[in-house]
Amino acid sequence: MASETLDLSPETERAKQGTIELPAPTAWPIILAFGLTLVFAGLVTSASVSILGAFFTIAGCVGWFRDVLPQEEHESVPIAGRVPTAETRHPQVAHVEWKTEELQRARLPLEIYPISAGVKGGLAGSVAMAILAVLYGILSGHGVWYPINLLSAGFFPARATTEQLAAIHWDAFIIASIVHVMCSSLVGLLYGVTLPMFPRGPVLFGGLIAPVLWSGLIHIMLEALDPVLKQRIDWGWFVVSQIGFGIVAGVVVSRQVRIRTWQYLPFAVRAGIEAPGTMREKSGRNGEP
Amino acid sequence: MSTDAIAMPSTAIAPRPIVATLHEWVTTVDHKRLGILYIIYALAFLLIAGVEAMIIRIQLIRPHNNFVSPQEFNRLFTMHGTTMIFFVIMPFMFGFANYLIPLMIGARDMAFPRLNAFSFWMTAFGGLLLYFSVVGANGLYGAGNAPDVGWFAYAPLTSQTFSVGHSTDFWILALLISGFGSIGTAINIIATVLCMRCPGMTLATMPLFAWLNLIMADLVILAVSPLTAAQIMLLIDRYLGGHFFDTQAGGSAVIWMHFFWVFGHPEVYILVLPAFAFASEIIPVFSRKPIFGYSVMVGATIAIGFISMSVWAHHMFTVGMSSAANNFFVISTMAIAVPTGIKIFNWLATMWGGKIEFKTPMLFCIAFLFQFLIAGLTGIMQGAAPFDWHLGNSYFVVAHFHYVIVGGILFCLFGAFYYWFPKMSGKMYSETLGKLHFWIFIIGFHLTFDFMHIPGLLGMPRRIYTYEPGRGWDTWNFIVTIGVFFQAAGILVFLGNLIWSYFRGKAAGSDPWDAWTLEWSTNSPPPAYNFASIPVVKSRRPLWDLKHPNDPDWNYE
Repeated sequence: MASETLDLSPETERAKQGTIELPAPTAWPIILAFGLTLVFAGLVTSASVSILGAFFTIAGCVGWFRDVLPQEEHESVPIAGRVPTAETRHPQVAHVEWKTEELQRARLPLEIYPISAGVKGGLAGSVAMAILAVLYGILSGHGVWYPINLLSAGFFPARATTEQLAAIHWDAFIIASIVHVMCSSLVGLLYGVTLPMFPRGPVLFGGLIAPVLWSGLIHIMLEALDPVLKQRIDWGWFVVSQIGFGIVAGVVVSRQVRIRTWQYLPFAVRAGIEAPGTMREKSGRNGEP
Repeated sequence: MSTDAIAMPSTAIAPRPIVATLHEWVTTVDHKRLGILYIIYALAFLLIAGVEAMIIRIQLIRPHNNFVSPQEFNRLFTMHGTTMIFFVIMPFMFGFANYLIPLMIGARDMAFPRLNAFSFWMTAFGGLLLYFSVVGANGLYGAGNAPDVGWFAYAPLTSQTFSVGHSTDFWILALLISGFGSIGTAINIIATVLCMRCPGMTLATMPLFAWLNLIMADLVILAVSPLTAAQIMLLIDRYLGGHFFDTQAGGSAVIWMHFFWVFGHPEVYILVLPAFAFASEIIPVFSRKPIFGYSVMVGATIAIGFISMSVWAHHMFTVGMSSAANNFFVISTMAIAVPTGIKIFNWLATMWGGKIEFKTPMLFCIAFLFQFLIAGLTGIMQGAAPFDWHLGNSYFVVAHFHYVIVGGILFCLFGAFYYWFPKMSGKMYSETLGKLHFWIFIIGFHLTFDFMHIPGLLGMPRRIYTYEPGRGWDTWNFIVTIGVFFQAAGILVFLGNLIWSYFRGKAAGSDPWDAWTLEWSTNSPPPAYNFASIPVVKSRRPLWDLKHPNDPDWNYE
């Protein structure tokens, strides 16, 4: 690198004297490696090979220690040749326009829901979904425990018959509850993030489109992951419970108070700098506030 | 960068005696020479393992073939797998890491030069010991034979009962010895990257090559250590009456599987992260754009490092694990696709809108992107436990991991060879031969490994010695074997190009690619001390800053 354009470190000063100190070549590493190999090779050939290897190993260790103690062996290498200078065949620089034009950045909502809105929506949706699932269990004649056992069926493959799935299993209840609350919260968070992207139809998206897409995805995945479980699921009711979740979660999320994003504020304002003139003033459609 | 800037000392140097030259190489602690030794050593073993693969494929070209005996066939696939993983790809990666990391971070050498030499020689002697088994596996008292237990050597096949003689012992000891070398190199890489960066180079401005190798080295320490422990346990079982893997005496054969794959799957990432590192350096330079999403690339690499330690048992779905274990390893396997996918998107985004130059290194990297994507997709397929129950131990699995190792890693390696050959040798390679190599090899690769999936789907088990005609496998196996000959021809062109270019190639100059990292700021080949003065950098592309003083990168980072 061209020294005229870069700072010089203390070592560079030594280099100016015409030589550079480098670790000296040594045979001890190869001798130690060869010795150790022979020690191991002797286990499957002859004890004499191991004995010879031990000799080399000890010699390698002693030689290595003497190389680095009390001071590491170095050799002085003279600096030869000139340092190349930095030149380019591509002196022109083309800047990508979208990096300099803020207006062409991705569209981001001016207002979003807080994280808590997503969690609240997810938990409310989970209650609605649980009610619909239990209702399904009662109406189908399998009982309230059937949908709960189905939800945790992947963890208890031995419980495969309808009777077993309709029975009370507290371990299945605990696992199903954890899975249900976790998934509902995460999907609720997803709703909280995505609903502001659909300002014209949050309920349509959250209550219908997303649940149907989600159901389709699970339908496909279960075919590969657990085809037996897939056969047990009543997909009509599954979609209904998903829609129930979506509507309740969507309504709860959309009723929360939105907060403004800082996306369109000048950097100086976002950084808390109160000094007029530090940033270009904005105006017009995207120039608020 | 101008080529006329390289000025050799004016005094003529007499050719050195060959013994003196050999002595210099054997006693060297210079990271560049050790890197080249690693690479030459790996090239030699690549040829050996390639010949083994060809014999395997010739044996399978038609039903009821007897090109080699069943015993020889078992030895061949064992040696091919072991050699390719431990004595070809790993040494290649260590070689490039050794050569390039100090140059890229502006250091004079690795942190521990003598340990570096010791690590290389341990790796080298490990490989030699493995092949010494061909003559010495019976303890020099009779005809030798090579190991024949497969590259993952499942118990109880490795017990004294089923593996008489010393062939398995040679396999154990060879991997044990080379494992010490690997751990030594990993320690060196970590210490070098963390402690020897030049002034101004923070972790956030370090080349991605160094980042990826840092994570790779961490994985080596975490993954190779359990394998070393397992090898010692296996030795104890075989010679000291231990019962770790003896199911009839209270041991567990499945424990060996866990030990092996807790090494074996991170090992895939140990091999592929340096390949990612090559792509992350080559793609931006030939797209004439900085890497897209540097921070996300680093984050994705760290995520891959963590998640790769939690996916090992997806190799064991067919063993019969609990549902909870199956679920966990399915989910973790799916999860690792996320950071890997991010990387692929970022490489594509780097190319998007760039002025792409289709030089040989770039061609190999573009092919890598497509092939690694397909390899990842078939990996996701097998990551679903029910799918794996159908295809486990079939040729579909063989096709998948060869897509990763050859289509992903080896293609990037070839790209790296062509990209850094001018720096290492001071000569330009032949672009014509490079492109010929690329096209022959890619045709061979796709003939072999695309069509290898199909007999796997049709139920052809891996490691099968021969097969009955009429099962629908015949034509596919014929095509697969023909593809291997194309690949072999490609390798010969590649080697011919390296040799011809080394002796007859044009002078490369210090920076033939108009690149941006520090290794291109010094002469080609670099002097022993790397840099006459230690550079001070201010951005991720220090040479860009020098070449464009009016528009340096530090304005944007």
